[in-house]
Amino acid sequence: MARSMVYVVDDDRYVLASVESLLASEGYEVATFSSPDGFMAGKRPDVPACLVLDVRLRGASGLEFQRELHRARIAIPIIFLTGHGDVPMSVAAMKAGAIEFLTKPFRDQDLLDAVRHGIELDRHRRSNEAQLVVLRQRYEAMTPREREILPLVVSGQMNKQIAFSLSLSEVTVKVHRAQIMQKMQARSLIELVRIADRLAADAARI
Amino acid sequence: MLRPAAADAVAGVHEGQGRVSDEIDDALGAPAQFPLVHSPTRGRWLIAAVLLSLLIVIGFALTMPFARLSTGRSELLLPAYAAGIFLLELMTAVLLIALFNLRRSPALLLLSSGYLFSALLVPAWVLSFPGVFAPFGIELGLQFTAAIAAARRIGFPLFVLAYALAPRTAPLTLAPGRSIVAAVFLVMACVAFIMVVVFLNRPGLPSLMMDARNVGPLWHMVPAATLVLYGLAIVILLTRHRSQLDIWVALVVFSLTIELLLISYLGGGVRLSVGWWAGRTYGLLAASIVLMVLLVESIHVYGRLAQTVAAERRARRGQMTAVEALSASIAHEINQPLTSMITNANAGLRWLLKDEPRLDRAQAALRHIVEDGHRASSIVTGIRSMFTKGRQERTELEMNALVEAAVQAARSEALQEFIEVRDVFAPHLPTVVGNAAQLGHVMRNLIENAVDSVRSGRGWPRRVIIRTWVGEGDEVRVSVEDNGPGIAPEVADRLFDPFVTTKAGGMGMGLMFCRAVVEAHGGRLWATSEDGGAAFHFSLPSVMFAGHDQG
Repeated sequence: MARSMVYVVDDDRYVLASVESLLASEGYEVATFSSPDGFMAGKRPDVPACLVLDVRLRGASGLEFQRELHRARIAIPIIFLTGHGDVPMSVAAMKAGAIEFLTKPFRDQDLLDAVRHGIELDRHRRSNEAQLVVLRQRYEAMTPREREILPLVVSGQMNKQIAFSLSLSEVTVKVHRAQIMQKMQARSLIELVRIADRLAADAARI
Repeated sequence: MLRPAAADAVAGVHEGQGRVSDEIDDALGAPAQFPLVHSPTRGRWLIAAVLLSLLIVIGFALTMPFARLSTGRSELLLPAYAAGIFLLELMTAVLLIALFNLRRSPALLLLSSGYLFSALLVPAWVLSFPGVFAPFGIELGLQFTAAIAAARRIGFPLFVLAYALAPRTAPLTLAPGRSIVAAVFLVMACVAFIMVVVFLNRPGLPSLMMDARNVGPLWHMVPAATLVLYGLAIVILLTRHRSQLDIWVALVVFSLTIELLLISYLGGGVRLSVGWWAGRTYGLLAASIVLMVLLVESIHVYGRLAQTVAAERRARRGQMTAVEALSASIAHEINQPLTSMITNANAGLRWLLKDEPRLDRAQAALRHIVEDGHRASSIVTGIRSMFTKGRQERTELEMNALVEAAVQAARSEALQEFIEVRDVFAPHLPTVVGNAAQLGHVMRNLIENAVDSVRSGRGWPRRVIIRTWVGEGDEVRVSVEDNGPGIAPEVADRLFDPFVTTKAGGMGMGLMFCRAVVEAHGGRLWATSEDGGAAFHFSLPSVMFAGHDQG
C-alpha cells in the first residue's frame, strides 16, 4: 500500500483521539488537529490524502473552512462529520465537493469506506494531474504552426483539406502531421484525439 | 461543555402560555395605553381643545349681528337636524358604555346615561315641534315641545355634574354587565316617565311658549337655570381635571353654553332665527365632540394593540427557537461522548483482531471509552441537576480550592496552544456556601471563554489570569482576565442574554447560565472590557457564622 495521509479536524479532543485510533488500526497514517488553523499551519507531505472534518467547529465552521480550502486551491477530498443530520447543510457540503457526510455517531465501516474512497479519488486526481503536466509539456514543445494544424487533424480533416484551408502544400502538412504525432507521442490518430480532448478539457477547466 | 442555563428558557415557555390575553388586557387596560380616561390632557390634545374653543368663540362673535334675522319656513330642516343629534348622542352613549365595560369607572356610566337621556328625548321633541309633522296629524300642543326641551336642557348638565363629581375608580356593587342594563333601564324609565307626565298634563302645563315661534316670560327661567348648571359643570371639570375626557366634556358644555346664549338671548328666544339655527349648529358640534375623540382614541388603541400582539407573536417565536436550540444543544453534548465511545470500541476491536494484535492500543481505546462514559454521565447529571429545582445541595466551600481545580482542568489543554493559565489567590479567603458542582461549572465556563477569546486574539504572550480576593463586606470575589480582543460594544449590552454568542459554534448559553448560578447564590456576575482584553468578575457573599449545611 502506497503511503497516504488522513487529516482529522475536530474540536472535541476525545472524538479526535477515537477517530485517530480507528484509522490507525486500519494502517492509515493520521494527523489530528483541533482547529482548521492547525491544519493550515501544519506540513502536508505530497501524498494522496483526505480530510475528515467536523462541521461544528469553534472559530470558523467546517463549511467555511471548506470554502477557504477551495479558495486556497487546496484540492483534498473532504469527509464531513456532523452532530445532527442537517439536510440543507449536507446538501451544501456535497455541492461544494464533499465526498461524504456522516452523522455522529457513525458506523466505523462507513468512515473507513469513505476514507478509502477519498484517498483513491485523491490518488486518481494526482496521477491525472501528473499526466496532464506531461501532456502540457509536450504540447508546449510544438511549433505554432503545428499547434494550428493539431485541431484540424483531430477533427478528422484530410491532409488535402488542411493544406487547402491553410494555403500550404500537401507535403508540408504531411511533415507537420508526422511531427505532431511524434511530439505528442501518439501512436495512432485515435490516441492523438484522446490526448487533444484531455488537453481541451483541462484548458476549459482552468 | 454543557450550557444548562436554558432550563429557564423552558420554564419561560410554559409560563408564557396565557400571555397573549394578558397582553391584550394590558393594551386596553393600562393607563399608559388608554390615556383618554386616566391621564390629564397634555400636549397636542390640549392645544386642539383650546383651538376648538377659540373657533367656537369666533363663530359666536360672527353670528351675533345677524342673530335675530328670521329664516322663513326653515323648520323643514328640523327632522334632519334631529336625526343627526339623535344618532350622534346615541353612538356616543354606546361607545361610552363600551368604555365603561372595560374601565369599570362609574363616572363613565353616568356620562353615557346623560347622552342616552338626551338622545331619547330628541324624537319626542322633533315630533311635537310646531308645524313640522303637522301634515301627519301630529299636534301635541305648544307647551309639550317646550317642556320636553326644558327637561332635555336641564337634564344633561345634571348628568355631566354627576360625572364630574363621581369617583373614577370605585368598586362596583353590580357586575359591569348588570350595571349597564340597570343604567339603560333607569334612563329609559326616566324618559318615559317625563313624557307620560308631560303628555297627560298637557292642558295644565305652564305656558312656556307664547306662540309657535316666540317664548313666553316663564321660559327664561330654563336657560338661566341651565347656564348656572353649565357654568358649575365647566368649573368643576376644569378644576378637578382628572382625565383628558374631562377637558372634552368641558368643551361640550362650553359649546352647549354658546348654543344656549345664541338661542335664548341673542336670538331673542325666537325660534328658527339665524341665532337659533347657529345655536343648533353648536348643539350638533357639542354632540359630536366626545364621539370624535372616542373614535380617534379607539383607533389609536387598536393600533397599539396590533403592535403588542405582533410583538408578542415575535417573542413567542423566539421562545420556540430557544427550546429547539436547547434540545439541539443537549443532543450535541450527549452525542459527542457517544461518538467517541462507539468509535473507540470499534477501533479497539480492530486492534485486537489484527494479525498481530496491538494490546496497548486496544487498552488505550478501552480506557478512553471509560472516560467518555464518565463524561456522558456527568452531562446527564448536569442536566438533571438543572431541571430539579431546589434540590441543589449546598455546602461550605473554599473558593480557592474550587477555582484551583477548574484551573488545573483547563491548564494542560490551554498550554498546548501556548496559552498560560495563571492563578493569583488571596491567602485567607472567607468561606462561602454554595453548590460545588454548579460553581465549578461557572468557573470552567468562564475559563473556557477566556481561553477561546485569547485564542482568537493577537495578544502576546497569550495568557488568562484568575484572581481571588476579598471584596467589600467580606464578599469573595473571583475574576477571570484575558488578553484577547475584548468585548465588542455591540455585544456588551446583551452579553448575558441567551443565544448571544460571538463563537461560530457557540450556543450562547454559557454566560446566561453562569449569571443565573451566581445570582442564585446571592452574588453578582459582571464583565469589563478594555483594549487589552476582557475580564469577567463574580462575587459571592461569605458566611459569617460557619454552620451546618443549608441544603
